[in-house]
Amino acid sequence: MFSKHACQSVPLDVLSSLPDNVIDEILMCLPLREAVRTSILSTKWRYKWCRIPDLKLDYKLWQSKVDKRSVLKKFTKIIYHLVTSHDGPISKFILSIRGLEDSPVLDKLIYFLSRNSVQHLELDISGYYKHKLPSSIFTCLRLMHLSLSGCSIQLAPRNFKGFDTLICLELRNMTISSKILENLISNSPLLDTLMLHQNVYFGIIEINAPKLRAFEFNEMEGSICLKSTPNLQDLTLWHKNYHVGSRNHFKSFYHLEYLVLNGHSLKVLAVAAGEVTTRLPFDLNSLKQLCLDEIYLRELDVVSSAVFLIKSFQHLQILEIQVEDYDNDMSALQCLELEAFSDVKFNHLRKFELSCFTGSDREMQLIKLLLAKSPVLENMRIHPLPDYDNASEKLKNEIPVLLNTLQRASPQVEVVYVFGS
Amino acid sequence: MSSSTKFLTLKTNDKEEFVLDEAIAIRSQTIKNMVEDDCVSNVIPLPNVDSKTMIKVIEYWKKHSEEGISKDKLMDFDKAFVKVDQSILYALILAANFLNDAEMLDMICQEVANRIKGKTPEEIRKEFNIENDFTPEEEEEIRNENVWAFE
Repeated sequence: MFSKHACQSVPLDVLSSLPDNVIDEILMCLPLREAVRTSILSTKWRYKWCRIPDLKLDYKLWQSKVDKRSVLKKFTKIIYHLVTSHDGPISKFILSIRGLEDSPVLDKLIYFLSRNSVQHLELDISGYYKHKLPSSIFTCLRLMHLSLSGCSIQLAPRNFKGFDTLICLELRNMTISSKILENLISNSPLLDTLMLHQNVYFGIIEINAPKLRAFEFNEMEGSICLKSTPNLQDLTLWHKNYHVGSRNHFKSFYHLEYLVLNGHSLKVLAVAAGEVTTRLPFDLNSLKQLCLDEIYLRELDVVSSAVFLIKSFQHLQILEIQVEDYDNDMSALQCLELEAFSDVKFNHLRKFELSCFTGSDREMQLIKLLLAKSPVLENMRIHPLPDYDNASEKLKNEIPVLLNTLQRASPQVEVVYVFGS
Repeated sequence: MSSSTKFLTLKTNDKEEFVLDEAIAIRSQTIKNMVEDDCVSNVIPLPNVDSKTMIKVIEYWKKHSEEGISKDKLMDFDKAFVKVDQSILYALILAANFLNDAEMLDMICQEVANRIKGKTPEEIRKEFNIENDFTPEEEEEIRNENVWAFE
């Protein structure tokens, strides 16, 4: 009379009845193509993918072995499908595509995203030439994160008043008018993180960003002026060329904790400070970590700029230097002698790292100086340049002995010389 | 352990009680909100979680709260943690969702997605006991509707 429970013989389909937010989460973990394919599982699944709030359209989507149609055709088809099927807010949209020709569909897509309140937008459309970015980008007024790569922005709408909520702006490989770039930055009052990589613009960009905390500048051409960045903490200046226009930086350094420079930007800074005196006229006590990359010790102005900076940052805890000389035949310099630092002590320096070491006199001077002047130094690591003069008796045997004879101000310092690995 | 360590008692729907360091329990946003709103009396009831699942959740919380544990070790732990029967996985999803632990929920959803990835619709239906209630005509229509995804 009592039949067996149906659920004992037919296992339940629990997956389909999970809460909507969980299903969204699962679908977001799938590549978009596979997420869309779940539409065929059952009636319950038919439109579930249409709700995904994070959409990622990466390179793989446009690859096809069978289909010889152009990228543009495929792009048009997929975007049209998304725009007509998607339902609900889109918080995050990531598009990476190569070889896309100019297409009105891109404009439609961005306009669609702006109507859906997109907050995080990444567009990487690098190709044979730079896409003109549709002006619909300026209608995405909810943006918090904007990352653009491989396109050009030449015009902004006259009534564009900035992105009120933008926190992070990353521009790579873009052609952009310096006026628009300046406007973008100064009209985004919440901007916290700014990254400029290998863009093309002309003239000097003045940076006014009251909340800016992290700034990475890595450019071939173009120049910047940190006009007003009172809250800057992390700064990377990686100039590919020497350009004189970058001045006034130091005024933005009061809260700086982390600074990365290369040989070019180091010189720019030193010149900005007034043709290198001995020390800055004010103290920069907040800086904890300084990284100097691509440093040519054979260039005297680089050495004097570096010395000047190290003397200016008296509260430095970590110092990393990567030399770029590939040359151990450089004579000692007077400005690196202990006597030149008679009034200086690195009372906070805990860690020093020197890489691409070739065993030159100047490098040894630097090591000697830091060992003698850093009473709380805990760790000094020296990495010889890989494959540089491996057979050299000096690098292999003499240097380690020499290192042990140097006077050390810190009783607990550990000197690590990593040869041959 | 310092004298300031506070403990909470969590009571699952099968009346089991778990005494847990508050600092660990507030990995759950739900519990954190209750603590912050001061509406924690002696025992926090968890009407949507059973004891068997709660044991797993606590195991996860404790591991992820270990001081100085390496990322690699955590990854190994996570990998092993999700190697369970589907029914347990569902129970964990629902618990993580109720407790509002985004990190744990993400990780388990990723595991479900991994079990879907690379399979044909037929294989997915079989794995998850999904009944295909489409007619062949409807199926054809859906393939045409989303044609790029099925190419």
